[in-house]
Amino acid sequence: MSIKIDETNKKLSISDYFNLYKKLTNSKNFGKNKKSIKIALLSSFTANGIKEVLSVKCNELGINCDFYVGSYNQYSQEILDKNSGLHKFKPDLTILFIDVMSIFGNNYFLPYGMDDKQRKIFVEEKLQEISSLVEKLKSNSKGKVLLHNFEVPLFSPLGILENKQKFGFIESIEALNSWLRDAFKDDKQVFVFDYNAFCSKIGKDNSIDYKMYYLGDMKLNFQYMPELCNEYIAYIKPLMSLAKKCIVLDLDNTLWGGIIGEDGLEGIKLGPTPEGRPFMEFQQYLLSLFNRGVILAINSKNNYDDVKEVFEKHPHMVLKENNFAAMQINWNDKIANLKALAEELNIGMDSFVFIDDDKANRQMVKEAFPEINVVEMPEDHSLYLKTLMEINDFNTLQITEEDKKRGHMYVQQRKRTEFQKSTTNLADFLKNLDMIVTVEKANKFNIPRISQLTQKTNQFNMTTKRYMEEDIKKLAEDKNFLVFSVKEEDKFGDNGITGAAIIKKGKDAWNIDAFLLSCRIIGRKVEETLLAYIAREAKKAGAKKITADFIATKKNPVAKGFYKNNGFNIVKKENEKEVWEYYLKEDYKFPNFIKFVEK
Amino acid sequence: MEGLKKIVAKVLSIDEIEVNNSLTMGNAEQWDSFNHLLLISEIEKEIGIKFSIQEVEKIKSFKDLKEIVSSKSK
Repeated sequence: MSIKIDETNKKLSISDYFNLYKKLTNSKNFGKNKKSIKIALLSSFTANGIKEVLSVKCNELGINCDFYVGSYNQYSQEILDKNSGLHKFKPDLTILFIDVMSIFGNNYFLPYGMDDKQRKIFVEEKLQEISSLVEKLKSNSKGKVLLHNFEVPLFSPLGILENKQKFGFIESIEALNSWLRDAFKDDKQVFVFDYNAFCSKIGKDNSIDYKMYYLGDMKLNFQYMPELCNEYIAYIKPLMSLAKKCIVLDLDNTLWGGIIGEDGLEGIKLGPTPEGRPFMEFQQYLLSLFNRGVILAINSKNNYDDVKEVFEKHPHMVLKENNFAAMQINWNDKIANLKALAEELNIGMDSFVFIDDDKANRQMVKEAFPEINVVEMPEDHSLYLKTLMEINDFNTLQITEEDKKRGHMYVQQRKRTEFQKSTTNLADFLKNLDMIVTVEKANKFNIPRISQLTQKTNQFNMTTKRYMEEDIKKLAEDKNFLVFSVKEEDKFGDNGITGAAIIKKGKDAWNIDAFLLSCRIIGRKVEETLLAYIAREAKKAGAKKITADFIATKKNPVAKGFYKNNGFNIVKKENEKEVWEYYLKEDYKFPNFIKFVEK
Repeated sequence: MEGLKKIVAKVLSIDEIEVNNSLTMGNAEQWDSFNHLLLISEIEKEIGIKFSIQEVEKIKSFKDLKEIVSSKSK
């Protein structure tokens, strides 16, 4: 139950958010959302407003927000004391907001009380202090850490000679920010929040209201707390698995100016002209999102032949048919098309972002599917690019190689499905796919992907055990475990790593602890190939049988009959858990039309 | 002044009818130092005027607020 905020009409002020927060906490539905997040805020000044705004914004997204605000300017103590409120709270996300005036102390107002050498040592010490604090935080918390960098000031007592210094005041803060970025580039737990960029965005002339600073120790004008919290939401969405996967696009007046059915190929606006460039650059940014793993789809009322002509003949059509995983180009209503797209792509409605210039269409989709992010496209075409860039629904906490190829893989899947429709039976289809299945023991290259798969795969997942990267790494190093990734390629392309398994090796019995495959590749005997591999290895090691659990969930009925259909016998059944076993008397046969590679 | 009453009522979470000349920081429970700053900020934003820090410190009642706001609107 969320309190709907209509942000299209009026931008809410900080006071509005305080009132909404009061309303929220007094509401009988408070805390009843399905998802919850624990956020801790440690700051070096009075950061009032962040708790209230973030709680309201989280609730809007269907997330209960449990908030811990660290004692005033006690961020070091909260982190270093094992018995602090912070540690007892066990946050999912800790925001560490140290402001530049606090960290520089007197040196902020008297920067040239130090010489360049002293200044360099000073900032290096600050870097060390912050790094140590963050490391201590990490050692006591599994949650993510969002560390603010520092606002680079606009003024210096040296004026125009500031950047002639060997290592001046401004440069020292820029250096500190640069070193912070370097220090955490490879850190999966810590994200450096570019607060300096945020201040530039709102305007450094506006970021501090001096009255509020002097009277209330507020280092950020609290009217900008909503904007700051929007930035935090970009981290919270992927943390709560609320990232969107697919952009559904209209065509006329969205990807090009005008209507292709009426204006024709020469009449639509698309290209390096004042009216065409907004659309061309809009497409270019969409392409860059495709390249990072966002799926693109089309939902348009048009004749397919008219659209095909644009793809094939228009000289400035940046996006090609090859960039679209699915296309509903017809005269059906857009709601039906959305349902068809969801089915075709096998993703939920809550994975969609809907972009359409038509207000009526947008309203209709908003009402039919409140879980879809319907983007409020501006009337002004020149603002399309900016609007697209500001969508923060595609953030992920990591990007793997598979993510980058995802757009391509969905397109390949579309072609595979078209091919399947054209072959007469499943056996012929599978034989003609020329599949190659590659298993590779867990190593530093595939461990992130294996971990990601255990967290994201819900359907063909036997035990739905979720593993973090550190967990997989430990198992991979354990001689009593076999951990491997599964890659599938066929004549249409490479699906990348789309499966994984974790086997516990016992003297007499090997136990399948985790066995999962992406739904994209099930039903092609890849599953059987993996069983054959596990059986072969178990038999080689002298084991007599394989045991495996199947734990039923709402999402994995597709996996239910798997062990039964492959010669396993059920040993016992307790509630949702079934225990199966397979005696290794005979060799388990590999499917003969699949080429099996062991890396 | 109607706009001003509305803002005060919103920030202090009281009814507009209670926003009158007898409303002071002393007798309004919600008019604490933090909400005082919030009030100033909201008025600046909505009405488009700027208070000086001295004025903010001087304002202790709705009467004070009215006086200073109307002197700025001239």
